[in-house]
Amino acid sequence: MTNSMSNVEYLKGVIGQTYKVLETDVIDQYQVSFVVKQDDVLQVLVTLKNAGWIQMSYLSAIDWPDENKFEMVYILMNWERPVHVQVRTKIDRNDPVMPSIITIYPGAKYYERECHEFFGVKFPGNPDYEKQLILELWDDMPPLRKDFDPQAYSDRKFTKREYSEDYKVLSEEPSKKAKRETRKERAESLKGGPKS
Amino acid sequence: MKSTKFTPARKLSKEEVDRKWWEIGDFFRRNSLWMLMYCTGCCAIELPPAMTSAYDMERLGMGPMATPRQADILLISGYLSVKSLRRVIYTYEQMGEPKYVVGLGSCPINGGIYHDSHAVINQLDQYLPVDTYVAGCMPNTESVMNGFVDLMEQIRNKTAKGWVKYQENNEWYKKNQKAALGEVDVHDEFHE
Repeated sequence: MTNSMSNVEYLKGVIGQTYKVLETDVIDQYQVSFVVKQDDVLQVLVTLKNAGWIQMSYLSAIDWPDENKFEMVYILMNWERPVHVQVRTKIDRNDPVMPSIITIYPGAKYYERECHEFFGVKFPGNPDYEKQLILELWDDMPPLRKDFDPQAYSDRKFTKREYSEDYKVLSEEPSKKAKRETRKERAESLKGGPKS
Repeated sequence: MKSTKFTPARKLSKEEVDRKWWEIGDFFRRNSLWMLMYCTGCCAIELPPAMTSAYDMERLGMGPMATPRQADILLISGYLSVKSLRRVIYTYEQMGEPKYVVGLGSCPINGGIYHDSHAVINQLDQYLPVDTYVAGCMPNTESVMNGFVDLMEQIRNKTAKGWVKYQENNEWYKKNQKAALGEVDVHDEFHE
């Protein structure tokens, strides 16, 4: 096993020579992020898997409503060379479609279902990406999009407890805070000058 | 002339006999409560000290139970998501009567810090009858124990009647459950 910085160099060699990387970000010696074109993603993942990044840790989306894009993030891990790789790509937000990667990483099946549920990204190639996983009988827009208003949904859907607005002072005694402050002032007043 | 040594008891009506048997039953029940802990929320972290030697729940005659059909108390520890609520309703309806519900923490009371979440219900007693609430985020172990003592007191005073309320107002509860959940029945890949 080589040291960690040369792992990053090795990784850059694996990816950079074959594919057009739009942006490379070396976060630290254990984390590297690549931004690639959408069409290249599956090829990049195959290459990385062959190079030893056999574990897919996570797959998710990030919502960028200002750019009108979703950013897909695939996080891979190699147990021989300890580097987490993030493969990122931006896809259209109005009609988000991303080819499924379950042929490369079968474990992605549930992550894709989750991503579809929370962001509405479609994954053709995954036979049950539309099945419900966490949200059951969901009846609104996908909830992790930035333009979803959870407060409004909660107000509409769930009964809120109502409290009466009238308050009264139950005890005439000063509050604990007031007592604490008086004690402190008294202690300050008793303090002598600096020790000589 | 009648003997003064022994006066035969007045014949009790059926209701009175029933009431007496219930009182006897309640005495034994409140001194031997079995809990089903629905530990989905963070308040469940208060249960290990309550159960183990620090506070020793066993001295109140309480113990954990594995299945709903053998338990007396359904303990909702912390927030309840919509998905969990479906399972909780399943569980509650499986329990034998009499059954009691204890809600821990502020989330079952009014939503707590999850009051604006799309996934967490705000008021548990709209969907299930709650006998005792223990407020706090999270409540400390003393107040958890105190909540159980309160429940025992309620059983003694015959005010822990949540399960009767659930029977009598079943339509109202079902209506609320439908409004929040859409459908109470669970349809997932493990139930089909």
